[in-house]
Amino acid sequence: MNAVTIRGLGWKYSGRDSFAIEGVDLDIAQNAFVSVVGPNEHGKTTLVSCIKGIIPHSFHGVWRGTVEVLGQDVRELSAQRLAELVGFVFADPEAQFTSMTVEEELAFGLENIGLSLAEIDRRLAWVSELTGIGGLWDKSPYEISGGQKQRVAIASVLAMKPRILILDEPTSMLDPLGKDAIFSILADVKREADVTVVVVEHNVEQVAPLSDLMVLIHGGRVARAGPPEEFFQDCDWLVQHGIQPPQATTFLDRLRREGLFTGRLSPRFEEDVAALRQLLGPPQGGGGAA
Amino acid sequence: MRRTLLGVVPLTSPLYALHPLTRLFTLGFLGVVSLFIDVPEVNAALVVFILLYLRWARVDLSGLRIYLPLTVTVAIFMFAVSIGFPNRDPSFHTFRFAGITFYAESLYWTFASYWRLMAMLFGTIQYFSTNRERETLVAIRSMWIPFAVTYFLSLALRAAGMFLEDMRVIREAERARGLDETSLSLRDRAKLYAMYMIPLFTIAIRRTDEISNALFARGYTISGKIEKGGKRSDYIHTKYLFRARDAVLMVGMTVLLVGVATARVFFGQLTVAQSPLRQAFLHALGGS
Amino acid sequence: MSGQTLIRVEDLVFEYPDGTRALDGVTLGIGENEFIALIGQNGSGKTTLSKCLNGILRPTRGSVRIEDLDTRERGVTKRIVTKVGYVFQNPDHQLFNNTVHKEIAYGPRNIGLDHDEVEARVREAARVCGVREELFGEHPFFLTKGLRQRVSIASILAMRPRVIIVDEPTTGQDRRQSVEVMNFLRDLWERSGHTVAIITHEMPIVAEYARRCVVLGQGRVLLDASTREVFSRPDVLARTFVKPPQITRLAQALEDRGIRRDVLSVEELLEEFQRNRSQ
Repeated sequence: MNAVTIRGLGWKYSGRDSFAIEGVDLDIAQNAFVSVVGPNEHGKTTLVSCIKGIIPHSFHGVWRGTVEVLGQDVRELSAQRLAELVGFVFADPEAQFTSMTVEEELAFGLENIGLSLAEIDRRLAWVSELTGIGGLWDKSPYEISGGQKQRVAIASVLAMKPRILILDEPTSMLDPLGKDAIFSILADVKREADVTVVVVEHNVEQVAPLSDLMVLIHGGRVARAGPPEEFFQDCDWLVQHGIQPPQATTFLDRLRREGLFTGRLSPRFEEDVAALRQLLGPPQGGGGAA
Repeated sequence: MRRTLLGVVPLTSPLYALHPLTRLFTLGFLGVVSLFIDVPEVNAALVVFILLYLRWARVDLSGLRIYLPLTVTVAIFMFAVSIGFPNRDPSFHTFRFAGITFYAESLYWTFASYWRLMAMLFGTIQYFSTNRERETLVAIRSMWIPFAVTYFLSLALRAAGMFLEDMRVIREAERARGLDETSLSLRDRAKLYAMYMIPLFTIAIRRTDEISNALFARGYTISGKIEKGGKRSDYIHTKYLFRARDAVLMVGMTVLLVGVATARVFFGQLTVAQSPLRQAFLHALGGS
Repeated sequence: MSGQTLIRVEDLVFEYPDGTRALDGVTLGIGENEFIALIGQNGSGKTTLSKCLNGILRPTRGSVRIEDLDTRERGVTKRIVTKVGYVFQNPDHQLFNNTVHKEIAYGPRNIGLDHDEVEARVREAARVCGVREELFGEHPFFLTKGLRQRVSIASILAMRPRVIIVDEPTTGQDRRQSVEVMNFLRDLWERSGHTVAIITHEMPIVAEYARRCVVLGQGRVLLDASTREVFSRPDVLARTFVKPPQITRLAQALEDRGIRRDVLSVEELLEEFQRNRSQ
């Protein structure tokens, strides 16, 4: 069974003239790590909101097609059932921190789905370890940085042990250090937790190396979907569709078109470095100019 | 120091061994008890007691300096009104100073009222210098108030925090557009505050959607009921223990309050007439 | 630094009311017609410094002089804003009025210009920022984020500052939107002779647009040099948790193969690569 199966999905927000997304077909395997990329206002958030059921549960509009999470139609699942199956982390760490301390924030979702106190204790310990927020339990939202808030947001969703974890631009408001922390948590989650991850992200450079599947949403449709190795073929086409591929990948793509490189394009920096080192031959005595 | 919406509280304090409900009860006790006490000496002693208590609770007393202008301003206003518009009871002692007639009893009543106000003020300050929003919420949840109400209150507190932060940025943005607040008249300042409403509401409206989506995403329902049956557990509540000493303190405060009220209402004690300072004051006037 | 010094910061210390020291002895000068990036992790003092540069915040110690003005003096706000403009990160924090026209006119009115001059400034600023006059009657709330940002910039430009500081112009924007706003800022620098300073976390943007880079860490200036030089010093950048752009890191990983370490763009690395291969 797929984690997510989407067939012929379309959604038009009420009061709008056109469909935000239309004719979307997508299969996401269980425990896959999926990146959804594309320009703003082209339907990325709408798509993931449909998987979480925020659409159509909290919005008015016209729905077409079907979205199934683990074989169940999202339109027929309740908010609590969806909360157990699908976790969702938003872009703005400020707006999703609704309690007065980190500890309460972590416990909130678990209380909602009716877990026992003993189980809440166990989950809080586990998730604090995984996301490195053990020292923050007693802090209020005014005392921690945006990056820390975002880690708390991810932890509070992970604690609910959803089968599918969606993150909508989780690093867009963070500094480089905060971004790195989030991506390292995502790498840990991918390795350790039994969960399907769907992340909407502009930072292709950092998210691509983690991904099993890259999906480009453009003009409300799936414009390209595939594993990263295939996805980044033809970087110019991606740039035209509003995506900035990693610079190293772009560079290799240019070399390839000039006939200087014949290998595989990888979104992983280390692999690109290795390929280029091989291409350039053994080290030179002089080194570079200072 | 830990930041709260209104100020700071100490990182550690012996006071934190008490249950939040006891602490909220203390606020109620200090707020009400002064209503039954007219004797300024007692109220002043209460203020001193609260200050000692705060020191014991490891509150940084130098941080209370910010209330100093408030206490002085209140004194100036109260005495100005009392001197300008005294109760001209013919039986009152009077004396003249700098061309003004002073009515001693009226003046002393203002003095007594001032200290009562101070006792209540410091009773409130002590609460907000030792409790965070979290403790307030736990205290309220301990009082069998429906979950939806306490949750609404907690969201409101959180929203207030965001609101204050936005307000600070907006004021800076005003200055970046050449607005010099110091040069504004009172009327223009009022207009300015009205103007802040536009960005504040804009931001609030945009954020409301996000917050409600965030609540949906975590399975929140207004009833707080669990679909599979069973009661919603209250995790934070269980992190605070209600011990025997909490019960003893609350009973003690209740008894004290009832005692003070009884003494005042039924036995006519603790009235301003019983103030030794007042007697000395009137005696001095009578002698001159 | 090119031309005359417009802003001179001397040994600037800034402490917030709660005692946090955000700036700890910053000295630097900003000249005419520069394109500067302020970089460093959150809490390094970037935003505090830039708010000190136009008098939103006043120094705890040390001084900030804008030409002949000292930001410590009272009542200079109105004169400062005609020299240094500051655009906040979130346009929603700085849109106070119910129409676009009033919004752009707000600053010029505050500094006491007459009606005709205000009108001329509004039209000029709107034109420069690509805000069409049909939008003058619209409520800023209903504009797209990109347009709200342009209105914010127009409302600052209408006061005709020589220096314009923009806090995180590309945060949350996609590639096309980022290129659009950055090209616009570059035009201000190149064509209108403004000094532009941006605060950003996006190093490829810094590499592509900024000529000078001020690296802040723990409230101090760690490095103040040309962008090329700054990115060839990853050791210093690491102290404030900043990494050079990926293309520069790629070049640096190939240094022992004879590749220059101060490459800033894919094109430069291509040239360098071809030069290397033809040897």
